[in-house]
Amino acid sequence: MTLQFQPFPPDHVPAELMVDFDFFRIPEGTSDPAEIWHDLVRRGVPDIFYTPHNGGHWVFLDYDDIVEGYRDHSIFSTYQTPIPPIEPFPVVQPQGVDPPEQNVFRRLLAPMFTPIAVRGMVEHLEHRSAELIERFADRGECDFITDYAEKFPTGTFLYLFGLPEERLPEFLALANVFFRSTDPAERASNITEIYAVLDALFREKMASPGDDIASAVVNARDENGQQHKWENILNCGFLLFVAGLDTVTNTMAYIWRYLATTPEARQYFVAVLDDPDAFLRAIEELMRINAVSNLFRRVTHDCEYKGIRFRRNDRVILPNTVANRDPDVFDNPQKIDLDRKVNRHVTFGVGPHRCIGSHLAKREVMVTLQQWLKRIPDFELAPDQPEGSVFGGSVMGFTGLKLRWPVAAK
Amino acid sequence: MKVVVNLELCQGHARCEDICPEVFSTDAVEGKCVIEQPEFPADLEEKVRLAVRNCPEGALRIAKS
Repeated sequence: MTLQFQPFPPDHVPAELMVDFDFFRIPEGTSDPAEIWHDLVRRGVPDIFYTPHNGGHWVFLDYDDIVEGYRDHSIFSTYQTPIPPIEPFPVVQPQGVDPPEQNVFRRLLAPMFTPIAVRGMVEHLEHRSAELIERFADRGECDFITDYAEKFPTGTFLYLFGLPEERLPEFLALANVFFRSTDPAERASNITEIYAVLDALFREKMASPGDDIASAVVNARDENGQQHKWENILNCGFLLFVAGLDTVTNTMAYIWRYLATTPEARQYFVAVLDDPDAFLRAIEELMRINAVSNLFRRVTHDCEYKGIRFRRNDRVILPNTVANRDPDVFDNPQKIDLDRKVNRHVTFGVGPHRCIGSHLAKREVMVTLQQWLKRIPDFELAPDQPEGSVFGGSVMGFTGLKLRWPVAAK
Repeated sequence: MKVVVNLELCQGHARCEDICPEVFSTDAVEGKCVIEQPEFPADLEEKVRLAVRNCPEGALRIAKS
């Protein structure tokens, strides 16, 4: 998405920090959208620079600055951050508010996403994953995105929210418009539609609560024993809907694209499926290399950071993929080392807004690897990949990924 | 030797628990680090050190006991 009108660079940005960079624009022929970010590093642009595209925003490229952008909410806020700016934008709960206000919904959600809670979901996830894979395993081919990587996290959302499986097509359609549409009118009506669905859902869960996250959110009480503000309940539901779908879909797409083209990696994973230590190290390396999210922050007040002037409401992008390959932090950062011992990646962010769904997301990847490799140990990219199927933006990824594999004759 | 956690810094990544479950776990409410065995045995030192080095928040450190 590019604005028709690009504003003049603001007068607080010195000319030497200006770089012509549009994070939505992926040059033709690019097979990995993250490369536009790594290309900046190769070109040697400043570690902190400003681009006039998409309403104008800063970009941090150094690991330490990206970490600071996550941690220091006194300067770098999560309140109304979209790039390009959309105002007003829903104040999603708890991601879109800074501490201490953030704590209210963070504390409400936290117990449902701890490692302990996620361990309790494993059996369900395994069943869901196996069922999806078995639909196409005998076919010898699939479009990994539409046949699996979209359906698995969206179906998991339905399960967590206590919704029936029959509603999967409806939620897939809502998510697809939300994540892929660039038409402003379509986007606006889509958000209205998502909120209407959430409103009906929460009302239903208020009347007849179940053992699910939606019921827990709508029936929770604040410190005065009252239900939370309806608007905040909806904004929390909205976050839970949008945060765990596109990110998981595209992380998986990156991983399966890598596995399809790297036989040694497939063999490695098959070999370590029953070795928890080695398996977890390999998963963390996949997380480091396949960091699909570029997070936004908004500057809270006119200030200086590292000797550079920032103005209130300046937007900042924190590209995890760049932090995760910082040579000051990672040995041999460009190498995919599935046995990497020290791996302080920031794929789930750091600080108070650390991705609350990180344990679930990782588990979705782990379960899928286990279920997939048991059934389809060898696979490759199909020769007819859809043209122009990569996209940039706040989540980078693929609209299609065709895979094929040998099937035994019956 | 002893390992200590700064719970102000810990954000519940649970990398320590993944790397050395003999010493670290996480709580059921916030998912933050719980040190089950602060004075860990010598044969776990390497794993504990790896947990410390992998903490994305720098919330763990080893102290002389």
